[in-house]
Amino acid sequence: MKDILLILPTSKTSNEAVDFAIRKAKEIGGALTVLYILDTAMADEVFDKFTDIGFIGDKPSSQLTEAIMKEYRQRGYELLGAVQIKAMEAGVPFNPITLHGDFTECAMKVINDIKPVMAVTVRERLSGLSRYFSTSSINELQDSAPCEVVFFDED
Amino acid sequence: MPVEIDRRPLWLLLLVKGTRLLLLLSLALLFWFIVAIDPPQGLSPAGKNAIAIFIVCLSLWITNLIPLAVTSILAIIMVPLFGVLTEKETYSLFGNEAVFFILGAFILAGAVMRSGLGSRVATMIMKRFGGSSTGLARSIFLLAAVLSFFISEHAVAAMLFPMVLEIAKALKLRPGKSNYGKLLFISLAWGCIIGGVATFLGGARVPLAVGILRETSDKSIDFLDYSLAVLPVVVIMLTVGYFVLARLFPVDIEGIEEAQEVLLKKLQGMGKVSYNEYAVGIIMGLTFLAWFFLGRALGLALIALASVVTLFVFKLVRWRDIEEYVNWGIILMYGGAIILGSALDKSGAARWMADMTIQNWAETPLMVVALFSLATLILTEGMSNAAVIAVLMPVGIGMSGSFGMDPVIVTLAIAIPAGLAFALPMSTPANAIAVSSNYVNVKDMARAGIIMSITSWIVFNLVARFYWPIIGLKF
Repeated sequence: MKDILLILPTSKTSNEAVDFAIRKAKEIGGALTVLYILDTAMADEVFDKFTDIGFIGDKPSSQLTEAIMKEYRQRGYELLGAVQIKAMEAGVPFNPITLHGDFTECAMKVINDIKPVMAVTVRERLSGLSRYFSTSSINELQDSAPCEVVFFDED
Repeated sequence: MPVEIDRRPLWLLLLVKGTRLLLLLSLALLFWFIVAIDPPQGLSPAGKNAIAIFIVCLSLWITNLIPLAVTSILAIIMVPLFGVLTEKETYSLFGNEAVFFILGAFILAGAVMRSGLGSRVATMIMKRFGGSSTGLARSIFLLAAVLSFFISEHAVAAMLFPMVLEIAKALKLRPGKSNYGKLLFISLAWGCIIGGVATFLGGARVPLAVGILRETSDKSIDFLDYSLAVLPVVVIMLTVGYFVLARLFPVDIEGIEEAQEVLLKKLQGMGKVSYNEYAVGIIMGLTFLAWFFLGRALGLALIALASVVTLFVFKLVRWRDIEEYVNWGIILMYGGAIILGSALDKSGAARWMADMTIQNWAETPLMVVALFSLATLILTEGMSNAAVIAVLMPVGIGMSGSFGMDPVIVTLAIAIPAGLAFALPMSTPANAIAVSSNYVNVKDMARAGIIMSITSWIVFNLVARFYWPIIGLKF
């Protein structure tokens, strides 16, 4: 079956991206696979800040990162639930996946597994100058993915 | 179709990808260059080498290319290696009272967290005073501040964050959209920041500043005198902070019954107050009183370490608990910072740098205080506040000598503003954690934080100018 892959990062959402992915899946008569990536980078950064700068021990720092990851996971379930409802209403088969780790690595893993027709994702809103000087994971994805990668700015 | 191809030049792509290596290489070259050239007039070769080490450490502390504590280790290696101090002198600086006081204070904070006393007190206060939406935000703000009087502000942030997250979840606040969500998380961060400057215990920066002061002059500041000097700044900033938060993030929810339920369930889950909680609370209270009233006679580190021993005598903590709650890198970080400060002072580099820089811009002691507090506030937004102390204190002490000022004044002008980093998540863990919740974004934090930073500079200087002379700190 042809798939459209919707990749949702941890802290960025876009209703436009969700609607576009569902519409595309319906158009091609395929399924919508939604990948929610639990980005561990933010939690790791907090852990490093508390241990390297705050000098508090591993246990409270770990408890803190666990609390952050739990929150992100819950948000992911809620987000996947909301997309599932929209997909069901549009009569599009829905397949959720949740992965931990780096955005590009997780996205590439799923792209290589399910070989979608198109990947749709969300990118951070940045000024032109910041975007010019920053490495974008979307660019990396576009370079490595064998399918077309479409992105929308976060809400 | 919005497909974007990376058309940036190859050199820029390489630059973006290889920044870390490039920075480290540039730093090594700069260091080698400074060491190789002849010292300028008025500076000894050892002083010149001390400045080269200082520049390397400063750059690494700002860029975080390697962990802070590892930068300190680098200073420990380089200071004797380049003949700034002898090996014996270098390692003996680890015996500084400040290092042992910081260690004792962190172990005590670990015991408070381990016993559950901190969480119980926090939950009880939020439940008691958080009956309305504004009351709950206010209680989080003040609670974070007051707890940071007694234990490290970072430990307070780590302890309160999961509770505030649960409250936000129960109230179904939308991350990034809800004003009330922003209000709760920034209240937590700012409470920790403002409360953290109130005593020696809020963070290790004040003991570090005092440690460097002791090593480089014959002066010191005790627990009570410091708290007395900073009290008006804390009271005014808490008041200003409360009004800024209320103004920028007006409450956009009505009831908070769900939050009250969460707190009630939490309290019920904790059961009765345990023996450990009572005992740790009593020891903490007695230690605090001893720091206040016997600190000058007995020494702060001695009291802290005696309390640590008492915890073990009554079997309130195990060594394993302490290992889990304290990061031992702290000894290296602060020991190394004191070594660097001492190296700059003893080699004459600190005085030379003061003559070359701030001395040209400042004409009166009041301007010295204004300039140092401003430089500290700016630097602390971009780097760890302990690193700011390590960098500015030697120059400040050198500067006070040039103006015939009491070095205690300059120490306070650096130590107090060093903790007041409101605007950026990189500056302090409390800000970082507020942003990691996604309820607050960097823009919200910067917008509100800039107002607080400017206000804190004005408030600090007014307090220094008009209040300090009343308590005997004349300049």
